[in-house]
Amino acid sequence: MPALEVHEVDKRFGAVHAVKRASLAFERGRIHAVVGENGAGKSTLLRIAAGLLVPDEGETRVDGRKLAPHTPAEALSRGVAMVQQHFALVDVLTALENVVLGREPRGKWGGLDLGAARAKAEAVAREIGASIAWDARVATLGIGERQRVEIARALYRDARVVILDEPTAVLTPGEASSLYATLRRLADAGRAVVVVTHKLDEVRDFADVATVMRRGAIVETRDVTRSGDEVRSLARAIMGNESVAPLERGSRTIGGGEPVLVLRDVRMGRAVRGVSLEVRAGEIVGIAGVEGNGQREIVRAIAQLDAIDSGSISPAADVIAIVHEDRHQEGLVLDAPIRDNVLLGELARFARYGLLDADAMDREARARSARAQGPDDVTIVARTLSGGNQQKLVVARAIARVEEGHARVLLVAHPTRGVDLAASRAIHAEILAAAGRGAAVVVVSADLHELRALSDRIVVLARGRVSAQLPPDATDDVIGQAMLAGHDLSPREEARP
Amino acid sequence: MTLAATDAKGVRPGIPPGLLASLAGLAAAWIAFDLLVWSYGESPRALLSMLFAGTWGTPYGAAQVLYKATPLLFTGVAIDLALRAGLFNIGAEGQLAVAGLAVGAVGASLPTGIPGVVAIPLLIATGGLAGAAWAAPPALLRARLGVHEVISTIMMNRIGEAFVAFALASGLAMKGTVRTGDLPPGAHVPRLDSVASGLRGSAASFAVILAVACAFALPWGFARVRVLREIALVGMNRVACAAEHMPVARRLAQAMLFSGAIAGLSTTATVLGYKGHFESGLGAGAGFGGIAVAMLGRGSALGLVASALLFGTLEQGGLAINAHVPMEAMQVLEGVIIVAVALADARVRESLARAVPRSLGRKARGA
Repeated sequence: MPALEVHEVDKRFGAVHAVKRASLAFERGRIHAVVGENGAGKSTLLRIAAGLLVPDEGETRVDGRKLAPHTPAEALSRGVAMVQQHFALVDVLTALENVVLGREPRGKWGGLDLGAARAKAEAVAREIGASIAWDARVATLGIGERQRVEIARALYRDARVVILDEPTAVLTPGEASSLYATLRRLADAGRAVVVVTHKLDEVRDFADVATVMRRGAIVETRDVTRSGDEVRSLARAIMGNESVAPLERGSRTIGGGEPVLVLRDVRMGRAVRGVSLEVRAGEIVGIAGVEGNGQREIVRAIAQLDAIDSGSISPAADVIAIVHEDRHQEGLVLDAPIRDNVLLGELARFARYGLLDADAMDREARARSARAQGPDDVTIVARTLSGGNQQKLVVARAIARVEEGHARVLLVAHPTRGVDLAASRAIHAEILAAAGRGAAVVVVSADLHELRALSDRIVVLARGRVSAQLPPDATDDVIGQAMLAGHDLSPREEARP
Repeated sequence: MTLAATDAKGVRPGIPPGLLASLAGLAAAWIAFDLLVWSYGESPRALLSMLFAGTWGTPYGAAQVLYKATPLLFTGVAIDLALRAGLFNIGAEGQLAVAGLAVGAVGASLPTGIPGVVAIPLLIATGGLAGAAWAAPPALLRARLGVHEVISTIMMNRIGEAFVAFALASGLAMKGTVRTGDLPPGAHVPRLDSVASGLRGSAASFAVILAVACAFALPWGFARVRVLREIALVGMNRVACAAEHMPVARRLAQAMLFSGAIAGLSTTATVLGYKGHFESGLGAGAGFGGIAVAMLGRGSALGLVASALLFGTLEQGGLAINAHVPMEAMQVLEGVIIVAVALADARVRESLARAVPRSLGRKARGA
């Protein structure tokens, strides 16, 4: 009997059919990878498995019994724990306090008995082969260490199934392999380990079983071989038989003369420690790096949304069009119609004596929606569109500002995250076209393929500094090395006994 | 309404959740009414018909309902406007008190022969400006320091109450009284009974027209006036608005100022339409009653008008059944409706949830 099972689950979010009648079982003693593109439904499926989301149809079974009520508390009490992509730790508490939070052992007088807690927590740490600084505040811990605290917390609650959502997204390769060593020990001790990831080489190197999801459905589940062909074959399964037109880079002339976007020795707290960058008209510069190395801060600095400590940025914000990384929070007013979203922040242009010209707004909005292959009815509320279509609107808004001459710089952060392939292609074509028309373009992305396809030059950020400027055909290894520059590779974070 | 809900196509069909909340509030009130009346040993059905007879049963009663509903409609519209920006203006009570004082004081100082076409617009503007002025400190605190408006507007209510008493006591009132001098005859907003003699004796005035106009102008404004439209967008997602360099803090402050101004306009019904002077406590209660009106009306002009009429009916009806059940029973009903609808309203829950941590001092992001 599998330790955890989802049976015929189906889930919709508005117009998005996130999971389509999927059934999947997770066995004890194995590391089970679930792979697929962004938006394929991996996280949704596993959040259902962990009781965090209630499916529209179907059920979760733990040890063969239906999970009822379908709540995270019930799942946890039955031994299913999920480590989320964004850790749920309380920064100001110590590692030990975080681990016992909600399950505090009581002393004789009802007080907190941290001694007993410590003994159990240390046993857990021994089991996963990690030593954790129990009395350090979580705020002072590194990312890898926080993740171990999260795992220790799951085990402290006697989890027999541990689900991890994109656990290596924020880790360096060294930290990642140390994480997998930990996971292997958990599996060897008879637990079921489930890992959501889109890094296929990790799957090949560390997983026992892999399930491929595409557009909400399970394509196949297979035993993983450590052969070199495994990655390619998984990639084929993930992409399916969609024929993807190769991206036409076209020929652009990168403008001579003065650069358009200039950053000089920009510093912001600990996140950005002296970044200089020049981008010319018609040039696309890609920014690569492990997440959390200053990319987000740089984008907000260029957008002039956050103040910088020192250095300089030109030009002014009003000639910079931006696609922010979080389209739901920063990109769109989800409850407003398409019309207001594609014109967000530009109402001044449509106002005379404070009154808006509704016809002109509609005309402009329809044109922008059309270029995003969006609906002609711009009164439709943005929330009801699929993620890909939402993102296309955000991109169309930025591109339109470049085209209409309001902006000379285009700054796009993770433009195709969570967007399906066809929409990604459309977005990439738009970005290339904007550069073709002479915009200075900066693309921030965690996806090296995307950066290679778009960029004339790849700038690697590591620990808030530019660690390398590379041609787009640099190999993964070279770029990977640059991403790690300045990182502490000593055994502290790597692989403690 | 204009920006989102009425435009919503392809969203879930069925009863809109807002309407459902309003209905829940009414149902809860009905039950509370029955229980209250029953606990006094009276028959709920008999009292209900008595309540009806005392309000909509006669032309005079109906006009009195209109009179009671008018200030409530002004404050309801005011609070609704603030809610659209994501702000909870609890301060209408203080805003209308200070506005009443200002209108009374300015009005009493006007020359006796002043014509209505000059005096009435001047005094309406005075009420609006005074209401906005009393909303200004919370607006600025919110925009500059992120101080939550629920806290600051409640404080301003108490300060307003004390300020009005202080100002009346230190020279603005006629000697030995707590009222301002009389307004010149030209400054009176005409009573409805001046055109319909059946309403004789009722305090209802043409101020009700202005209130209804405000209610219907608001949706239009949110669609067509740039500042109001941006206020509504800020209310829906201020992070995205800030990311596109919309002046979020300024829009929030403006929303609070506009809200205060409209609350101040309720003096048109009380000072200009009814008393002809300002006195301590005139119009009090409409500021809190307006919260219920806004909750129940839920951003639609018709909804606001209907719920103002409902609460006006309750207030007037309380007088009608006073012999059998204390009229305070009606305030209990009002309270029940506010609580029931507020609990069902996500906007209010969010606003209250943000209130405590934010006012503890950390500056809000993007606000």
